[in-house]
Amino acid sequence: MSIVPSAKSTGALYWPVQARRNIGVRSLFLVVLAFLIAYGVLFPGLFAASGFAKFTQSWFPLALVAMAQAILMLTGGISLAIGATVSLGAVIAATTMAGPFGVAGGAAAVALTGLGIGAATGFIVVKLRLPAIVVTLAGSFIIGGAALLILPRPGGAIPAWLSDLLAGDTPAAFVLLVVIVLLWKLYLATPLGLSLYAAGENPVGAYRSGVPVDAARVAAYAISGLLSTGAGLFVAAQTGSGDPVIGTAFTLNSIAAAVLGGIGFLGGQGTMRGALAGSLLLSLMISVMFFLGFTPVAQYVAQGLIIIGAVAIPQFRKV
Amino acid sequence: MTTVAPLLAARGVSKAFFGNPVLRGVSIALQPGRVHALLGENGAGKSTLINLLSGALRPDGGEIEVDGRAVPRMTPALARQAGIAVVQQELSLTASLSIAENVGLGAYPKRFGLIDYKELAARAKAACALVGLNEPLSTPVGHLALGRRQMVEIAKALYRKPRVLILDEPTSSLSSTETKILTDLLERLRGEGIAILYISHRLNEVMALCQHVTVLKDGTCTADRSLVGTDATGLVRLMVGRDPGDLFPKWQPFVSTTTAISVRKFSAGLMRDVDLDIRAGEVLGIGGLVGQGQEDLLLGLYGAIPGRTASAVVNGISGLPGGVPKANALGLAYVPADRKREGLHLIHPILTNMMLPAFARLPALKLRSRKTERETGKSLAAQLAIKGDLQRPAQALSGGNQQKVALAKWMPHDPLVLLLNDPTRGVDVETKREIYLMLRTFAAAGKAVVLLSSDTSELVHLCDRVAVVREGRITATLERAALSEEAIVSAAMGAEKQKVAA
Repeated sequence: MSIVPSAKSTGALYWPVQARRNIGVRSLFLVVLAFLIAYGVLFPGLFAASGFAKFTQSWFPLALVAMAQAILMLTGGISLAIGATVSLGAVIAATTMAGPFGVAGGAAAVALTGLGIGAATGFIVVKLRLPAIVVTLAGSFIIGGAALLILPRPGGAIPAWLSDLLAGDTPAAFVLLVVIVLLWKLYLATPLGLSLYAAGENPVGAYRSGVPVDAARVAAYAISGLLSTGAGLFVAAQTGSGDPVIGTAFTLNSIAAAVLGGIGFLGGQGTMRGALAGSLLLSLMISVMFFLGFTPVAQYVAQGLIIIGAVAIPQFRKV
Repeated sequence: MTTVAPLLAARGVSKAFFGNPVLRGVSIALQPGRVHALLGENGAGKSTLINLLSGALRPDGGEIEVDGRAVPRMTPALARQAGIAVVQQELSLTASLSIAENVGLGAYPKRFGLIDYKELAARAKAACALVGLNEPLSTPVGHLALGRRQMVEIAKALYRKPRVLILDEPTSSLSSTETKILTDLLERLRGEGIAILYISHRLNEVMALCQHVTVLKDGTCTADRSLVGTDATGLVRLMVGRDPGDLFPKWQPFVSTTTAISVRKFSAGLMRDVDLDIRAGEVLGIGGLVGQGQEDLLLGLYGAIPGRTASAVVNGISGLPGGVPKANALGLAYVPADRKREGLHLIHPILTNMMLPAFARLPALKLRSRKTERETGKSLAAQLAIKGDLQRPAQALSGGNQQKVALAKWMPHDPLVLLLNDPTRGVDVETKREIYLMLRTFAAAGKAVVLLSSDTSELVHLCDRVAVVREGRITATLERAALSEEAIVSAAMGAEKQKVAA
């Protein structure tokens, strides 16, 4: 079985539907391309194997958290606990992988923690009908606290070979990202996956149509948790150890990337390819400004202005 | 008479919300091969009955039967399994998904756990063909006009090959062509033995399409009988308990020659290069198929969307208002079609809704006078027969009363031009009559009324002139003498290009 449904088995509907989803993000793709070219000009090493590896590695965790945030925003939710979940993933990886269960056991622990936290959050939000922003804000304290309990100060270890594989001179991060994107396409081709859109935009209508709205939303939270702890594992591999507050910046960056990518706050609006492009743009912006010699403070200001501009420009075009 | 067990039936069902009885001992039986009309004014309990039949709500008393067997705990899932499909008044569509993905939503064909797009395309195409939807199946529903979305909604119900089809005001946003397609389709489905429950405020449709009628009034069933030998007048009498002869107020010729609004080469949204004169003291109808740009015409004049024009005079001032506050200052008021979203703030008290335009005019930081507000609210409520406590949220009102509030809020400002976007859509007969009367009185006082309507009979009987819009242009302006449903429909469909009067 191929990973992407082949054109033959899907008839003449799947691809036109996919192509339609590009319409809203075309201009974003152009902007990303422009930044990519600018980056290539400023830093020709990008096109060498090691430069490419370094760049994708710096982008990879942001791409994962952008996806984690986007999937929730598509269901009409949001998470303020993504950063804390990344930190927890990092400390779990750093404390288990060097232990008796090894890398496989550690990775399993990271994955199960992510799925579990996500599913629990989702359950609370969906079944108790509480606002996601409040639940995940509270969750961020709990999860962040748990990370500090496990590892009060940076420490632990990641086996060197794993760090070399994920964060060395290999395109592993890029390959992983491609696999994750293909898995996402696969998920979106399932009834449960596509239900995300209906559950996010018109939950009452979707429920009346027989869509398992609650299940689709809880599943989205679980997947989001998995992506977040996965990002934590990668960050731990990059640094070679665990840091209980390393993920903090990811919460707001994930929202920024999703918004840049055209994901709406009301649910059901936007595409994952947009969110990924948004995260790439954010990551490119930081690199380009670094090469242009912006001071860190100026970088923040410019970043904010670009985000507002990116969200505002499509609004002007509608008129 | 038939002795076949009804496919779906309610036996003496009752339902109350917060202690207010909405349905009291109502029975209805849907027979195969029959189009059953459910009539009643807004608030009579029609929607509640549908929700009970489709399992969205559970009755407090009585039971729901499928194929003659009582179902103790009806749920939406059970209803779907039993082949019951409901076309709700509020659309259940997802704007960012394609037509096909919406039509199949909740019942996608699967292959290896994935959506089988090929099968979906084939089945969605068949369902769309039934309702005459020929847009590409990959078109996102968000790109479609309201009438087309309604057709997608109907296609979605048909996709599941229902045995019982419940349609809650399916034609309220459809053009006459689309309505024709739908009625032909229902005829055919009836021939195939499907039981159809049809809810509409348009009596001529009901008379033409249905065989049996149940009339609800204040939560009780006032009639359950064959439509044979019943006429529209009789039906209205059953619904409101009085004669409908005076649904439309008597038309009187008007003499005013003052122009309230005059635009030349006006463009806004879909509208292109329109010349239009709106006279004081007239009711000017705007007709045409749904989504030809009529709404943009109103919004453009109101300054709610940007517009361009070669020359414009609005109540003696030259130039377009260019913004809503300016338009209000020039004496324009606009009542939107979507009263739930644009016309009212549903969770806020009725009184606050009535006072909103006033808030815009008062000095921003001056303290409000609750007493004056209450008095204004009371007199408005009395004028428009809006009953009950004005502190209740607007959503507590029935559709017709909500519409009255949306209209009422402009009255204290004495607008010179009233722009109305389909004000009687989904409104019961009694409220319609009140609104018509109000509009005529308003025009008689020398004001101008611009009435955009999807109800052709309303245009014919209420208006002094009707401008018919097609593809963003006014294709005909029909004077009172030339007004007939046929003339409007043919102009709307481009069958005739003449009859343009001065």
